[in-house]
Amino acid sequence: MTGAKGRPGWRWLVALVGGFALGSAVRAETTFYQARIAPIMDRHCVVCHGPEKKKAGLRVDSFEWVMIGAESGAIVKPGDPKGSELYRRITLPATEEEVMPSDGKPLLSREEIKNIELWIAGGASAEKVMADFPGAPPLARPKAIAEALAPDWTSRAAQITALEQALGVRLLPRSQVPTDGLILRTASSPARCDDAALAKLAPVADLIVEAELARTRVTDAGLGAVAQWTNLRALDLTRTGVTSAGLARLQPLRRLERLNLTDTSVDDAGVGHLRALPELRQIWAFGAKVTEAADPRVVAK
Amino acid sequence: MPPVPPDWLAPLDTLNAAFTRRQFFRRSGTGLGVAALASLLGERALAAGTPAAPPPPWSIAPKAKRAIYISLIGAPSQLDLFDYKPGLANRFKEDLKDYLAREGERLTGMTARQEKFPLAPSIFKFAQHGQSGAWISELLPWTARMADDLCIIRSMKTDAINHEPANQLMYTGTMQNGKPSLGSWLAYGLGSANQDLPAFVVLHAKHTSPFSNVQAISARLWGSAFLPGKHAGVSFRGSGDPVLYLNDAPGIPRELRRSMLDGIEALNRRSYDALGDPEIQTRTQQYEMAFRMQTSLPELADLGREPEATFQLYGEEARVRGTFASSALMARRLVERGVRFVQIFHRGWDQHGTLPRDLAQQCKDVDQACYGLVQDLKQRGLLDDTLVIWGGEFGRTVYCQGTLTETNYGRDHHPRCFSLWLAGAGIKGGTVYGETDDFSYNIVKDPVHIRDLHATILHLMGIDHERLSFKFQGLDQRLTGVLPAKVVTDILA
Repeated sequence: MTGAKGRPGWRWLVALVGGFALGSAVRAETTFYQARIAPIMDRHCVVCHGPEKKKAGLRVDSFEWVMIGAESGAIVKPGDPKGSELYRRITLPATEEEVMPSDGKPLLSREEIKNIELWIAGGASAEKVMADFPGAPPLARPKAIAEALAPDWTSRAAQITALEQALGVRLLPRSQVPTDGLILRTASSPARCDDAALAKLAPVADLIVEAELARTRVTDAGLGAVAQWTNLRALDLTRTGVTSAGLARLQPLRRLERLNLTDTSVDDAGVGHLRALPELRQIWAFGAKVTEAADPRVVAK
Repeated sequence: MPPVPPDWLAPLDTLNAAFTRRQFFRRSGTGLGVAALASLLGERALAAGTPAAPPPPWSIAPKAKRAIYISLIGAPSQLDLFDYKPGLANRFKEDLKDYLAREGERLTGMTARQEKFPLAPSIFKFAQHGQSGAWISELLPWTARMADDLCIIRSMKTDAINHEPANQLMYTGTMQNGKPSLGSWLAYGLGSANQDLPAFVVLHAKHTSPFSNVQAISARLWGSAFLPGKHAGVSFRGSGDPVLYLNDAPGIPRELRRSMLDGIEALNRRSYDALGDPEIQTRTQQYEMAFRMQTSLPELADLGREPEATFQLYGEEARVRGTFASSALMARRLVERGVRFVQIFHRGWDQHGTLPRDLAQQCKDVDQACYGLVQDLKQRGLLDDTLVIWGGEFGRTVYCQGTLTETNYGRDHHPRCFSLWLAGAGIKGGTVYGETDDFSYNIVKDPVHIRDLHATILHLMGIDHERLSFKFQGLDQRLTGVLPAKVVTDILA
C-alpha cells in the first residue's frame, strides 16, 4: 500500500523465505484463495503491490506475500476482518486519502469485498476450499473481449452519407468502436421511410445493428429487405403495418436479440415464426394481439 | 485572420469588428466540435457530399438512448420516503444540539438560532417491497409497487445547502452560474434523433397543494451557457399551445413563411460567414426548428389516440394539461419520438413546516404517474434504453424546524445525504445502494456525489464524462469539472 518508503525489516525477509517454502505445498488443489481471493488481488492490487512496484513494501501476488504484509506490518489478521488493514483500506469511502485501490482506480465491488471479508473471518486460510464458504457471493465474470458486432464501417463512410441524404434516414455509428455497427434512425421523418427505402439500404445491410423503424410506412414486403441485415441485434417496428405473415421473413436474423411489435396487428401465430431465432431474448407486443402465453419471451402487458 | 470590416460599415460595426478576434477563436473552438459532430447536426447544416464523420472521441457504446429526469424542486425528505430509520421512534424530541456541535455542520439561517434541535422521527409507516425488500414509505404506494424496477440510492450528497446553488450543482454540475445544463451537454454530445423536435425538452408540472413552499427556478437550470444556444432545453408550456407563436399568422400561407425563412437564412449565412458567431447558426436553427414543429407538435400534443388504459395507468389527471401526470405522459410521447432528454420540473418540495400535510400532497401529485411512466415505458419496450431519474437537490434534517408535536414537524435543508432513484437502461433494478447513519445525517457506506451521478448518467448515455468537453475561457470545460468523479459501477446492470 502506498506509504513511507523504507528498507524492509529483517522480520519481513525471514517471513519471505518461509513463505516460499510453504508456497509449493498449497498450490496442489483449487482453494477458495485461488478461486476467489487471488483473482481479486490480480485485478485490483498487483499492479502496485506485485513483483514490479511493491509499494509500501507490499506484494499481494501470492498467498504467502499477502501474509507477509507490508513494511508497517501485517495486512491480514486471521479471523478479524475489521481488525485487518487490508479490509479497512478497501472499505474506506472513495473520498478518503487512504482508500485502496488508490489514485481513483476503480474500487472493489461489494461482492469482492464480501469475499475478502469472509476469507479473513474464516481464518485467512490457504487451504480452505469453496465449500467452506457457502455464503460467498459469486464474482461478476470479467467482461468478455468485445466481439465485433459488424464489419468496420469507416471505409464506406461516403456511401453511408449518400444513403442518408437520398433516403432521409440517419445511419449513426453506435460508438467510437468502428466494429460496433450503425443504428438506423428514422424518427425525423418516419413517413419518408417505406419499403422501397429499406431495399435501397442493401449496400450497408451488414452494418446495421439496430433499426428504429417505429411509425414508418414499412410493411411486410419491406421485411424482406430487413431480413438481409444479418448483423441486426434490435428491431423496432412499433405502430407499423407489419403483420404476422410478414414476420416469417425475419428468420434469417439469427443474431436478433430484441424485437418491438408494440401497437401492431401481430398475433400469436406471427410470433410463432420467431421461435427458432436463437438469440432473441425479448419481444415487446404491447397493444398487439400477441399473448404472453405464445412465447415466454413476449412482454405484452 | 478575422475579416477586415468593409469601409461601408457603420460605427457600430467597427465596434463589432473589435469582437472578431474573440469570435474567431470561438469559431475555431466550435469548428472542431462541428467536425466531430457532423453526423449529429441538423441535416441542413451538413454540406452535401461531406463524408460521414467518425463518431466523437467521447463516445462509448450506450446503454440508454434517451433519459427522463424527474426533478423535484425543494428537496423531498429522504427520512419520510426512502431512508427508513426505525431506531428513531424511541428518540422523539431528543435534543441533538450537542451532536450537531460535534458534527460541526453549518446550519441554514432558518434554524441556526434555534434553542433546541429536537429529533423528529418520521410519522409515516414504512414497509419492505419487492424482491429487493426496499423500505419505502406509505406516502409512495405506487412507487413501492415497482420497487424491483428501481435502484434507490440513499447515499447521495451535495456541497450546497440552499436551493439555488444546490439546483445549479444538480442540474449544471457547479454551484456557480454560467455552466451548461446536464441536458445541454447531452444534446451537445449526442444531438437529436428527430430533427423535427428539440433534443432537450423541459416540462413544467403544476403542484396542486396551495400550501406548498415553492421555490422559483429559472432557465439557468436548462440553459446552454457557453455551449451553442441550440443545445438549450426548449421549455414547453403546461397550458395552451406547448410553444407559442408556432402557427402561421392569418393571411400568411406556409409557402410564404418558407420563402421568408429562406431569405432570412441567406442573410444570416452571410453574417455567419463574416463573423463566425455560432449564435447566428443557433438563430437559423431555431427558425427552422419552429417551422418544423408546426407540423410535429400538434401530432405530439394530441392525446386523442391514447387508449383509455393509458389514463388508467398514469391517473385520470393525465387528461388535464400541465399536471404532473400529463407531463409524464408527454415525456413518454417525446422520448418515443426520439427526443434525447426530457426534464420534468415539479416544485413545492420544501417542507420546512407542516411536513406531514404538505409532503403527502406533493407525493400524491407524482406517485402514480411515476409508476405509470416506468410501466408504460416497460410495456412499450422503451425502458431497456430509456433512463429514468427521480430526485431533488439535497436532503432534509432529522431534527425539527419549528415546533415539534406528535403529529407535526418541519425539516430544514441537509446536504450530507439524500435519496433518489434511477430506473431503466443499464440500471440494476431492485437495488438499494448506500447507507446513512442512525440519524440519516452522515453517509456510512458508498457515498455518491452529484458529480458521480452525472458521470454515471453520461456513461449510460454513451459518453465518457472525462472526454466530453468544450473549450471556453481557456479551459476544456466538462460537466463533471476537475474534481474527482466516478461512474457508480455497482448500480449498473
